[in-house]
Amino acid sequence: MVKYVVRRLLVAVPMLLGAMSIVFFAMRILPGDPCVAMMGDQASTEALADCTRNLGLNRPLAAQYLDYLWRSVQLDFGNSLRQGYPVSEYIARMFPHTLVLVVSSAVVAALIGIPIGIVSALKRRSPLIDYPLRILALLGLSMPVFWLGILLLIVFSLRLDIFPLIGGGDLDGVIHMLASGEAFTSPRDFLAAVGDVLHHLALPALALGLTLAATVSRLSRSAMLEVISQDYIRTARAKGQGERAVIYKHAFRNMMLPLLTIIGLFVAIALTGTVLTETVFTRPGLGKMLVDAIGARDYPLAQGAITVFTMIIIVVNLVVDMLYAVVDPRVTYR
Amino acid sequence: MAISRRAESFDLGIPVDRREPRRSLGGQLRRWVPIGIGIVMAVCMVVLAAAAPLIAPLSPSAQYSDAVLKGPGAVDRHWLGTDEFGRDILSRIIWGARVSLQVGLASVAWGFLLGVPLGILAGTLGGPVETVIMRGTDMLMAFPTLLLALIIVTALGGTLLNEILAIGVALTPNFARLARSLALTIREQDYIMAARALGNGQVRVMARHVFPNALHALVVVATLYIATAIRTEAGLSFLGLGIPPPTPSWGNILSEGRQYIKCCPWITTFSGLAIMLAVLAFNIVGDALRDLLDPRLRGE
Repeated sequence: MVKYVVRRLLVAVPMLLGAMSIVFFAMRILPGDPCVAMMGDQASTEALADCTRNLGLNRPLAAQYLDYLWRSVQLDFGNSLRQGYPVSEYIARMFPHTLVLVVSSAVVAALIGIPIGIVSALKRRSPLIDYPLRILALLGLSMPVFWLGILLLIVFSLRLDIFPLIGGGDLDGVIHMLASGEAFTSPRDFLAAVGDVLHHLALPALALGLTLAATVSRLSRSAMLEVISQDYIRTARAKGQGERAVIYKHAFRNMMLPLLTIIGLFVAIALTGTVLTETVFTRPGLGKMLVDAIGARDYPLAQGAITVFTMIIIVVNLVVDMLYAVVDPRVTYR
Repeated sequence: MAISRRAESFDLGIPVDRREPRRSLGGQLRRWVPIGIGIVMAVCMVVLAAAAPLIAPLSPSAQYSDAVLKGPGAVDRHWLGTDEFGRDILSRIIWGARVSLQVGLASVAWGFLLGVPLGILAGTLGGPVETVIMRGTDMLMAFPTLLLALIIVTALGGTLLNEILAIGVALTPNFARLARSLALTIREQDYIMAARALGNGQVRVMARHVFPNALHALVVVATLYIATAIRTEAGLSFLGLGIPPPTPSWGNILSEGRQYIKCCPWITTFSGLAIMLAVLAFNIVGDALRDLLDPRLRGE
């Protein structure tokens, strides 16, 4: 097991390195000079040269590259060209927003997608249950998250005025209250702040969650179909167990295993989804930060954001692989 | 066995019994109706895109100052309303189909051309070639499709060609992986051994025996990736990284319409609907093809 973990870790290193290299070189061939982007077209040649030197952009590419790699390992992505303060600080501030969005939309997706998938599999070929559910899943799969987001905004924010149009609520405040212990001394304020965050979170989580639910329901349907055709399900039925017990005690648990393996994939889809979702809902977060950074030619910020995205995906995949081996004793490590 | 999540080998069921069980009328309908619907939708889109100049009622760039931000039907000639410059939404959506379809088809073709040979090479030859190719795809797979396309398009600039290039490259690792896993199964088949025994070289074996046998599974997946490519293009355009205005693409119509969702929700509603229908069409065709061609589901 230890050997396997070490080997998997070692494989992840060149992957990460390669991914970071792609980001670095892609950002370097970008048209447009970050100094021009910062200071405007009117800036004097001297000022621009000064800016280029200060940012270290005049150094050889190889030196910049090695420097970038070495500092990224230490999670130091330099300073944002526009805002001035460290990228890592920026990312640390944005990360919780994206995390709550991913987690809450995953919850929405699981709560809606898994039951739909199970029902659809159990009532397979039923024209009244399976077919409509599958069509629904196909629609959800085809619906771009930014469009669903806009539709939700039109109905729930603009027409019904139930949810806010933009923003992410005061998540920093909530975190601060938790850290300082204020959450326990003045619980009323804390709950109000949490409520505000959830109020802002509802529509984005619903939009992203519903589009993810489509994928989840399709995967759980096929996982369930696979499981209920197994011999142990027949055995369970043969020994006279009720259908409910067969489904809950035997099928459901075994179905969750293949689902577990797609969590890695799921995180990748969800993270991509946050780029679009955060933009639609004008919500702070890593995705919105990335899009803004690209627009502003803020290399370090964009690099930092993409590197963090990639790191998350690689690490999640690694963890899922190991988790899978732990959960399913039939899997052996080599 | 080591754990591999993505590269499971495909059961091609090569020695399948080709005789189909006799199907009831209901069974035949279930089989052919979805694929029919999908194909009709996809063909409609292709016709729409190809014949845009003939079908679109008005020019996509003509600005009607007397009809700025008018709702659907408010002015007779604008069925789906107009945008902030008084341009006809219906005509822009019809022209926008060109961008989506061009990017969808060309980028998938590009990804296919890059990825499939690499995958077949890796799967058939094995050894260090496989390791190098697969580690490379692993690296690219660490990026979700949209993110990778976004990085490339940002680096190269948003033009039609760059979008195709970017999405194609982003799809490449997916094709390579699938082609490899197919090749892994195929290379164990007796007919490959026979082909080798007859003195065929590696290249010929790959081109004449491995590739044709992997083709149907690859085509199914390619259809599904057209849907992914169209959605990714729309996403890029929506983020302002796709084809720049005034050329209409569904994503940029939607993106421009975002500022006006309060007064004029039809701009975003109809352009988004177009994206969804296009993606849906290719998803349906791909799904139906998979059900038809995947032997594991046959005779079910």
